[in-house]
Amino acid sequence: MRTRNRIPPLRHLLLALFSVLAGLFIVSPLAVVVLNSFSSVAYNVFPPEGYSLRWYRNLAGQDAFYGAAVRSVVLALVATSVSLVVGTMAAYALVRYRIPGSDMVKAFLLSPIVMPKIVLGVALFMFFVEVGSLNSYWSLVVTHAVVTLPFVIAILSASLVSFDWTLQEAAMDLGAGPLYTFFRVVLPQISVSMIVAAVFSFIISFDQVETTVFLVRPSSNTLPIEMFLYLQKWQDPTIAALSTVLIGFAIVLVVILTVLFGKGALPTRLAAGQKAAQKEESS
Amino acid sequence: MAADLIGPRIGPASKRRRGRLAWLPPLLLLAPTLCLMAYAFVLPLLTFFRFSFHKFERGRLQEAFSLDTYRRFMFDEYYHAIIFDTLRMAGIVTVLSVLIGYPLAYAMWRIGRPAVQKWLAVLVFSPIIVSVVVRSYGWTVLLADQGPVNYILQRAGMIDDPLRLVYNLTGVLISLAHVFLPFVVFPIYTSMVRLDPTIKEAAEDLGAGWWTVFRRVTLPLTLPGLVAGAQICFTLALGAFVTPSILGGGRVLVLPLHVYRATADINWPVAAVGGMVLLVLSLLTVASFNRLLRYSEVR
Repeated sequence: MRTRNRIPPLRHLLLALFSVLAGLFIVSPLAVVVLNSFSSVAYNVFPPEGYSLRWYRNLAGQDAFYGAAVRSVVLALVATSVSLVVGTMAAYALVRYRIPGSDMVKAFLLSPIVMPKIVLGVALFMFFVEVGSLNSYWSLVVTHAVVTLPFVIAILSASLVSFDWTLQEAAMDLGAGPLYTFFRVVLPQISVSMIVAAVFSFIISFDQVETTVFLVRPSSNTLPIEMFLYLQKWQDPTIAALSTVLIGFAIVLVVILTVLFGKGALPTRLAAGQKAAQKEESS
Repeated sequence: MAADLIGPRIGPASKRRRGRLAWLPPLLLLAPTLCLMAYAFVLPLLTFFRFSFHKFERGRLQEAFSLDTYRRFMFDEYYHAIIFDTLRMAGIVTVLSVLIGYPLAYAMWRIGRPAVQKWLAVLVFSPIIVSVVVRSYGWTVLLADQGPVNYILQRAGMIDDPLRLVYNLTGVLISLAHVFLPFVVFPIYTSMVRLDPTIKEAAEDLGAGWWTVFRRVTLPLTLPGLVAGAQICFTLALGAFVTPSILGGGRVLVLPLHVYRATADINWPVAAVGGMVLLVLSLLTVASFNRLLRYSEVR
């Protein structure tokens, strides 16, 4: 943008207008959910006929959602821990050592990303039925770990590639043990990427529908499944109230991470993770 | 912990003490991942593959080898329609997302004020954190017959009767474009940031107008980003399940939904063959877009 033009050219105004409309497009489905959650009637009507908190009261009375939320958080935490530890080890091995056919190994490890989730879900369902471990909690953990693992590996190997390995050499030459070197030299350098990978993995696990839908029993649904099945039956704003709570959590998460990383880089980093994964996949 | 077994000083940077056991540390580090992948990825896919060769007759599974289910997918028009609908949906969603995503990425790139740029980035990428179920539900409310979109259109006098925007393909397309938008914007934006500003300045100094600069410089050089975004979008759209089930209202029968229903009806062979078709379509998509990517990078 040149400063000599007082009035910006028409195309810039059009672009700005387009951005505002696109922003509206992005925000409106979420905003309308929040608005709808305060509606006083059970059906969707705009503008709302009245405002009330009855759907929040209704939500508070639904133990199914509360239990599902707790299960989802616990599952996402367990799965994230597994894939973070396992994935970091794999990324370290892939970057640090010369492995014959390492490109193939990497492509294989990242392949679950391009696999349609529903295919993976059905395949896992059939397999777990065959081996008789359908109702075990570990089947669920393993499933979520496999879904999140490629993202962890992609993000961390991208970060390890730019790590200066002479630092590690130096530490080892000065007599530090391998574990000590890893935790005191390598880990601090890749910690930001590990946090990004963990956040990414948590979100993916928390939002899993396609794989989980076959593996959980009605009594032990995760939150997105519970919501998904509820929506198949009812359309009342209880779901809007619950969604508003989730949107609130998402906003809190964005704010915390923005403060943590400064300059609002996190969403970009999240997308960078996706991008890194895709890039690895297509190369 | 396998970490303390890492052989010291073996690696690209230093080749001292490369013993006979040099292969052991990387193998131990990779072992948990490989075990996990073997158990929860390879074996399930093999099981899946096996079931695609079985057949489902009179409400029960026939364990004998048969190509019947494949034959049905090959020749039955019902399945052709499903496959065609899936591809069409993915195609339209991709075009829609790119049409919204490219100008948006361009605006993000060209905005002069860092603060606005930062908040626009937060706005575009934050919805990833909100569950797809929530976002799809939001669209059912927004596009409902009595919803805000129809209300505004009616108030503006553009339509008399509410448009049927939800529980049909239209709603699914709009909602999917919304869900995939961040994945399209990001690669495009990255390719724009990487653009060397001097090329553009050179073009301007040589007398090119903004349109020529855009058409001859910016667009060709950001084409790889656009193709990458379209690739991600098309692949994700092929496998989309949640949005078509919530917004399709049973009228949009795409392949993932069909696979889900067949599994629920214990018709595993049809689910498996449907899944195989979906898998092949995804792999073909990735391969052909990679091809396109190579062409787009040559220029």
